Amino acid sequence: MTATKKAHPYGGKMTFWERTYLPEVFRGMGITIKHVIHNLLHTSEMPTVQYPEEHRSYSPRFRGRHRLMQRDDGSPRCVACMMCSTACPADCIHIVAGEHPDPAIEKFPETFDIDLLRCVYCGLCEEACPCDAIRMDTGIYEIAGTTREEFFVSKEFLLNNKSDGTEV
Amino acid sequence: MVKVTIDGRELEFPEGTSLFDACREARGEALPHFCYHPDLSVAGVCRLCQVEVEGMPKLTIACNTGVREGMVVHTRNERVKTAARQILEMHLINHPVDCPICDQAGECGLQDQYMNHGLYESEVDKDDKVHKAKAEVIGPHVILDKERCVLCSRCVRFCDEVTGTGEMGIFNRGDRAEIGIAPGKELANNYSLNTVDICPVGALTSRDFRFKKRVWLLKSTASICPGCATGCNVRVDHEAGRIFRLKPRYNKEVNGRWMCDIGRMTYRGVHSEKRLDGPMLRGDGDLAPVSWSDLHTFLAERQVGLWISSPAQTLEEQALLAALGEQARTSGGVSTAGRGDGDDLLLHGDRTPNRTGLEWTDLQQHDPASLVALVRETSGAVVVHGGDPAETAPGFLAAVGGRALIFLGTHANATSKAATVVVPMSVWAEKDGLFVNKDGRVQAVRRAVARPEQAVEDWRFLVDLWSAAGCADAPAGLPALRRWLAERVPALNDLDLNALPAGGLAPATAPAGAGGDE
Amino acid sequence: MELVVSSLLKIAFLLTVILGLVPVLIWAERKGSAFIQDRTGPNRASVLGIRLGGLVHPIADVMKLLFKEDFRPENAHRFLYALAPFLVFFIALLTYAVIPFGDFIRIGGVEYQLVVADLNVGILYVLAIASLGTYGVVMGGWASNNKYAFLGAVRSTSQMISYEISMGLSIIGLMLIFSSLRLTDIVAGQGGAIWNWGFAMQPLGAILFIVAVFAETNRNPFDLPEGESELVSGYHLEYSSMKFALFFMAEYTNMVIGAALITTLFFGGWNIPWLTRSVIEGHAGTILPVHLVIQAVVMGLISLLFFRRAARERDKFGDARDREPGFMGVVTALMALGAAGSFALKPWAIGVDAASIYATLLQVGAFVGKVVFFCWVFIWVRWTLPRFRYDQLMGLGWKVMLPLALANVVLTAIWLAIV
Ligand code: SF4
Ligand code: SF4
Ligand code: SF4
Ligand code: SF4
Ligand code: FES
Repeated sequence: MTATKKAHPYGGKMTFWERTYLPEVFRGMGITIKHVIHNLLHTSEMPTVQYPEEHRSYSPRFRGRHRLMQRDDGSPRCVACMMCSTACPADCIHIVAGEHPDPAIEKFPETFDIDLLRCVYCGLCEEACPCDAIRMDTGIYEIAGTTREEFFVSKEFLLNNKSDGTEV
Repeated sequence: MVKVTIDGRELEFPEGTSLFDACREARGEALPHFCYHPDLSVAGVCRLCQVEVEGMPKLTIACNTGVREGMVVHTRNERVKTAARQILEMHLINHPVDCPICDQAGECGLQDQYMNHGLYESEVDKDDKVHKAKAEVIGPHVILDKERCVLCSRCVRFCDEVTGTGEMGIFNRGDRAEIGIAPGKELANNYSLNTVDICPVGALTSRDFRFKKRVWLLKSTASICPGCATGCNVRVDHEAGRIFRLKPRYNKEVNGRWMCDIGRMTYRGVHSEKRLDGPMLRGDGDLAPVSWSDLHTFLAERQVGLWISSPAQTLEEQALLAALGEQARTSGGVSTAGRGDGDDLLLHGDRTPNRTGLEWTDLQQHDPASLVALVRETSGAVVVHGGDPAETAPGFLAAVGGRALIFLGTHANATSKAATVVVPMSVWAEKDGLFVNKDGRVQAVRRAVARPEQAVEDWRFLVDLWSAAGCADAPAGLPALRRWLAERVPALNDLDLNALPAGGLAPATAPAGAGGDE
Repeated sequence: MELVVSSLLKIAFLLTVILGLVPVLIWAERKGSAFIQDRTGPNRASVLGIRLGGLVHPIADVMKLLFKEDFRPENAHRFLYALAPFLVFFIALLTYAVIPFGDFIRIGGVEYQLVVADLNVGILYVLAIASLGTYGVVMGGWASNNKYAFLGAVRSTSQMISYEISMGLSIIGLMLIFSSLRLTDIVAGQGGAIWNWGFAMQPLGAILFIVAVFAETNRNPFDLPEGESELVSGYHLEYSSMKFALFFMAEYTNMVIGAALITTLFFGGWNIPWLTRSVIEGHAGTILPVHLVIQAVVMGLISLLFFRRAARERDKFGDARDREPGFMGVVTALMALGAAGSFALKPWAIGVDAASIYATLLQVGAFVGKVVFFCWVFIWVRWTLPRFRYDQLMGLGWKVMLPLALANVVLTAIWLAIV
């Protein structure tokens, strides 16, 4: 029943037994039933992650949903330099810059929107930021919504993005 | 002619050439510099342009040295490079390096020099820097950031030498030296934004452009300022269908390296809320949107008695209108429209870009009274292409009376409001065309941004009207149109309008006298 | 009158078993495929935290399908489009009429045959009805006005034609041996020792028949009519809601028929090897207690496993689902206790009438058990083998199976003539 071991993996003439398909059919069925029996007896060893209850653990460098860093007074650290939106390959960061009343700060983002549906989570934005104002260290990857608008996240949302990874 | 050896190459220059220019030619690129500007006097304050001249004990600044016979100059050796790096380091001692919020970032001389000649590790702690005033409004168009200034004095020299107004100055000494505005003055001259252009760093920024767009995102289109009869050459900087600023484009025959603030603001009209955004027809009393096919049906039924162009239209459009009006009467519009005060630098009293074009296309202008009289003389529909005769010629509307008034224009105005038909057209930045400036120089405006969805390109619309009126060989396409134009206008007879040089052509002196980009 | 009542009762029994098997099969398909592929499979839907290892999912499916929009594509043929799923399902059920699921049951001295219609041309009836199923498929595929559905239907037809022949030929040998077309005769002929079963006497015929049945039921590796990789999902592509559910159920019903046919023709039908009716009736006093003991012990062991799990995973989910293993443990423990408790009824002193009924029950149980096993084989094969390419399918049908089936007929005939 080891006809398939002969050296003609592709092409060439099949032997009689190969042409009947049957030996290989039974061999295959043997393999699959072994899996069934093993899995029946060892349900707890199944590699499946029971997702909502269980989470896979990710590396700390995992790029999750973005957040905007805050200054001490809670205002965004971002200075609207547009480095991130320039670097962004998906063109999904939309910033409108404004004149800040404090000349020492001078420029700040009036609006800062990220279209999470377009984002490819490449991380180029956080790498480009000269002010460490945007980070992707929240660990949040469960990003779900029922309308497109929900994925168009604003400055306020990004400033208050939790970083502990529990928020869904 | 003097013979000079620069970096081992022997070259000849006319007597009196500055060593800076000689080095630029020899090297193919300028020496590092901040204060040198070809249109301003030499200041020699930034010390960046130092070169080694054999026989001289110390390095010398190239901008303030003339070429001499037998000079042997080195611009790329270690000594020169070190000097440039050290001078740059000195310039940056108190520089805030806040490039992320600086509007100049991307077109900043300091950034360029640092990348080319600097690349050292800074030894100055951020907190040890001397801080100066930031974001100080010094005029209607300009904001000053004293921290970022490298004290090159270009702005000071500009205000002294070009406009002669002398608002800017350098105050104090040593590391407290700072640029500033003379007490009680503001930088309010009509050329103030040129200081922003020549400022090599982000010390002077335009209030209008500030924070609107990062410069590296902008695309440029070479065009002509429509603000006055001078026809300054400009660069239209735009992105995603929006114009963000106009910058002067070098043309030594017209505007040199400058342009005026009024001209710079002309782009605002392109995105004005008053833009006409769809064809309209007067139904019972009010103008209402109408489909293009209905509009053309309406136009086909009218007999036009008078065609009125304007000095703001391009030469092609004026010529087409003149051709269309051959069976009827034509006018170049109201002769007093667009007149204002000029100055002796660039701004011309005639604030329209193409009045010469009207002369060349034999469209005679009328003063208000004679235009009204002309309207009365004619019968049939009146076509107004651009301009606002209802405003500039009192009595115009009364003279038109119950006749159809067909307005081909870009913005809502008194004429469009009274018109029977309104056809939305393109403004100068949305179409291709030629302007003839006050000196008879033919220069091209180019399409920079897309026109509003419903608007039409003027010359195409006119060509369509012309074919509809029975002209079998109306030019199709812009090149054909320009060939037709060159035949029609005597001044242009032997010019190839499809191959205008960047600086335009003045037929009288053609093809010599063409300016161009630096 | 009596005939009508008994027939109705038999039909009711069959329908309950078959329709009851369908959700179980769907569950087995999902769970089986999951275990074959090292997954856990469905385990979410629950009623009060009881999930029965995913067995609640088919119920949830039915709820979902009941409430789904019944969509009909534009330009579909209204009538045929609606008719097709019913036809398929109806025809699938018809075949059962002639399949004997037991010998007879003696109640009050009267013997009732455990088959709805004991036709003397039973096999021919089966073949005839089974091939009608394709009409539904073709109708559905054509009426959907969708090229993929249509291609699926075309494939189904040509496949049906190709394999119908080998299928018919492969059982001719069997007919020769049992000299009857009546299914009850064929089953009765397979009584006694295991080598009396059809597959022992007709090994080649059995293999050919099983393969042909796989092809007839459109199951992998012969599921080209649905070939989702190339035809999206074939003939039922446009169907939704309960119409789709009917196609879906028909597939499983067909599977049950296939399994029942294989069992009946080649695996002894309701026969238990060696334990013939007379043996069971004669030794009921021994067999029944042994049976009960085995059942009590097995159930008890299973309940112990559940209780162990309940203790181990007490706070796994933190909701009603945690109670599930305990619940299952109680249920299985009760079943074990029931089996043990029935010793109170003195099973060793079972009466003659009761022994006869017990024998019938064992036989029906054997039949159902075999059918379930072959259903599992259907599933097992599906998740083991890749799909044939169409030319391979045709090649196999015409160039291998047909000659082999013919040879089988000839050889059987010669063998019978000699013996
Ligand atoms: S992660 Fe990449 S795609 Fe997403 S916003 Fe940042 S730069 Fe853009
Ligand atoms: S790069 Fe950083 S500072 Fe600049 S706009 Fe983006 S988030 Fe703001
Ligand atoms: S002037 Fe130049 S170097 Fe200085 S902050 Fe602005 S961009 Fe940066
Ligand atoms: S403001 Fe700009 S142009 Fe004026 S001195 Fe300073 S750096 Fe030079
Ligand atoms: S350019 Fe020569 S000193 Fe500034």
